[in-house]
Amino acid sequence: MPTSEALGPPALRRNWLQYLPYLALVLLIAAIAALVGLTRQYDTDEQKSALISDVLWMEQNLRFQLDRNEAQLQQLGAELFAGGRLAPQTEAQLNHLLRQERGMERILWLDPAGRILGAMPPRIEAQPEAEPRVRKPSENAFDLARGLGRPVYSPAYPGADGGARFEVHVPAWSDDALLGVVVGVYSMSDLVVRELPWWFSERYRVAVLDPDGREIAAKSKVAPLAVHLSYSIPFDPPGYGLTLSITAYKGDTRWVPVLLGASILFLGLVIVWSVLQLRRQLARRQRAETELLRESAYRKAMEDSLLTGLRARDLEGRLTYVNSAFCRMTGYSADELVGHTPPLPYWLPDHTERRQELLHRLEDTGSTPEGVELRFRRKNGEMLDVMLFESPLIDADGRHTGWMGSVLDITEQKRARELALQQEERLQATSRLVTMGEMASTLAHELNQPLAAIASYNSGCINRLQAAEIDRTELMDIHAKLGRQARRAGEIIRRVHDFVRRAEPRREPLDLNVVIRDAVGLVEADARKRGMRLVTELATRLPTVTADAVMIEQIIVNLLRNAMDAMRDTPAAQRQVHIATRVEGRQVVVRVSDRGSGIDTETRARLFEPFFTTKTEGMGMGLNICRSIAELHQGRLGFEANPDGGTIFILSIPVEPA
Amino acid sequence: MNPACTHIIDDDEAIRDALQWLFKTRGVACQVWPGGEDFLAAWDAAWRGCIVLDIRMAGMSGLECFDALLARGCELPVIFITGHGDVPMAVEALKKGAFHFIEKPFNDHDLVDLVQKAMTHDAERQRAAADRETLEARLATLTAREHEVMELILEGKYNKVIADQLSISMRTVEAHRSRIFEKMEVRSAVELAQMLTTLRG
Repeated sequence: MPTSEALGPPALRRNWLQYLPYLALVLLIAAIAALVGLTRQYDTDEQKSALISDVLWMEQNLRFQLDRNEAQLQQLGAELFAGGRLAPQTEAQLNHLLRQERGMERILWLDPAGRILGAMPPRIEAQPEAEPRVRKPSENAFDLARGLGRPVYSPAYPGADGGARFEVHVPAWSDDALLGVVVGVYSMSDLVVRELPWWFSERYRVAVLDPDGREIAAKSKVAPLAVHLSYSIPFDPPGYGLTLSITAYKGDTRWVPVLLGASILFLGLVIVWSVLQLRRQLARRQRAETELLRESAYRKAMEDSLLTGLRARDLEGRLTYVNSAFCRMTGYSADELVGHTPPLPYWLPDHTERRQELLHRLEDTGSTPEGVELRFRRKNGEMLDVMLFESPLIDADGRHTGWMGSVLDITEQKRARELALQQEERLQATSRLVTMGEMASTLAHELNQPLAAIASYNSGCINRLQAAEIDRTELMDIHAKLGRQARRAGEIIRRVHDFVRRAEPRREPLDLNVVIRDAVGLVEADARKRGMRLVTELATRLPTVTADAVMIEQIIVNLLRNAMDAMRDTPAAQRQVHIATRVEGRQVVVRVSDRGSGIDTETRARLFEPFFTTKTEGMGMGLNICRSIAELHQGRLGFEANPDGGTIFILSIPVEPA
Repeated sequence: MNPACTHIIDDDEAIRDALQWLFKTRGVACQVWPGGEDFLAAWDAAWRGCIVLDIRMAGMSGLECFDALLARGCELPVIFITGHGDVPMAVEALKKGAFHFIEKPFNDHDLVDLVQKAMTHDAERQRAAADRETLEARLATLTAREHEVMELILEGKYNKVIADQLSISMRTVEAHRSRIFEKMEVRSAVELAQMLTTLRG
């Protein structure tokens, strides 16, 4: 499928792109972490090397101090063993040596045999016997120094006050004879404490450890130690397994890198969070977009499925939108229509003005809810009747941007309407024809009667004439009858003629009483034969009406016949048709009452319907025609129940004005 | 017995009068009635001849009158006079047993001929009815045994077979046979069979 192919790569790219920021972020954080780590590492190394160089410096310093002291002691040796009282400058030198910062506590000078010749400070207050004992550990050093002729350090030993001490034995020579040994007693702690500058002890804890790892002297303050930053070097001289252990104090926490790291972490988290937020936002947006897409597809489908044409135009009349139904209606494609300016291709030339007028009207009224009937021309030239409903197009800012019109194709409806009208007319014509046919049929039957009689009389006459004997009077009589029947036929023909002429009623001022008398005369014979009585009750001085005498007579005859038919089963004594005329307001009213069976409800409703009849031989047109005739004269024909039983038919004709 | 007569029933006086005159000139006896009601009121079962009935009449229609006559057992042949377009009604009438119908306007001679034919038909019917009466009277004179023997003779059996079947002697059968022939006024068994066939249809 082409769609999926087209969709594939961008989707892939999008996926890939989607994860790129995460990847970059992770890499960035890793890089920053590595950087921080490296910086830290570098820092530590720096610290370490600083420590080492400091330690080396200290060791150097100590050694230098010890060497200087050694050298001075050596220098002093000759003077000390000179004998006699100590020269003042020698004493001054001794005192100088014994200053505290030099770390030396006491200086002794011994003869080669090891006897103490003197001491500084003098050892009067000290116990004489204690000294050698105390000095015992250093006897080896004394011997070694005497033997070697070089300064030798003694191992450390605890002093009287508990502090660790060690000695340096410096042999003093005069030319090639050993004069004695000058011994300098160092207090370990003094040496360590006094010898170190303040900045060093500020930064490091310095301890001296004996070979067993016991701390024998330390310079420290109350502060936590950075265990990982410590360095040990052998303390030589004096040697003998002593170790100088230097441990850095934990310096102030270095806040900058911590803060930096923390802020990097924090910012990293913020970035992650914001990317997530962004992503959520994006997802939401995408969802909304999908939704929108679906919605618009749905709408499109809806618009396309509509049978109603839709078209929008801007205020200049340029088409901005048409739906497919509209395209189907007009036969133009959407491309041909959209953007088109008036006059539009489907307009009829003579409709342009009308449209302009419509447009003005639309601008005045706002919309055309009742619709406007128009005619369009399809692309193929066919005409199309449409109903147009327009309403204003309002954009999101509430501005009026154009008009939206829905267009209904009413061609079929219109055609159907016209067809129905035609059919109606045809039906009326047919019904007229049926009426004529019915009339003609009745008249033909009536005409048959005299003609048949004439034929029979004639046949009889011929029979008689064929025979020899002729009775003149008999034949005369028959011929008189024959002539009467011929006249009767003529009369019927005249009625046919009148009926045909009926299409246009010949109106003339008419006295209804006269018409009624004629009608009664017509049916009287029949009535007598059927044992019916016709009673007239005619108003005197009846105003004239404008009517067609023949037509009115037809109504009356019809009503009289119906009345008599209705009384077929009525007892002979009651077989009476009552005909009355009266003036009621501006109407002349004729009432024809019978004493028959009356009219039941079902019949009542359909009485005037064409082709409705209760008689076996009727066509059901009589009363229908009567009513039509009455209405032709602006009159009415109705009926009501007779209070004495039976029915009263009421014909009212308006009185001639003037 | 009544003489044969044509009864004309029509509500049009001129037609009645003209037909009466026509029949008179052809020597056909006729009587006219202005409506079915009048005719029915006067009707007598003993009347002979035929009826000419207008199908379309004011008051009682021709068909109604015909139905009433049938109901009363009238056997006179009925000829309907119909107007144009009344043929379906006439056909209905024929189904009910009307003799014929003639459509207006008709040839008068045709009508008279038709009436004469109807009258002849009626006369024949009368004669047949009379014959049947005679035959039934003769049959009534036979004894039960003679009836039995006659049925066997009609089946075409020989005297011997009849004697065996009835367990009587041949002579007795022959005596019955001659008596039956005598009473039925026939000369042979064939004649007897023919006579009874017409009676039994």
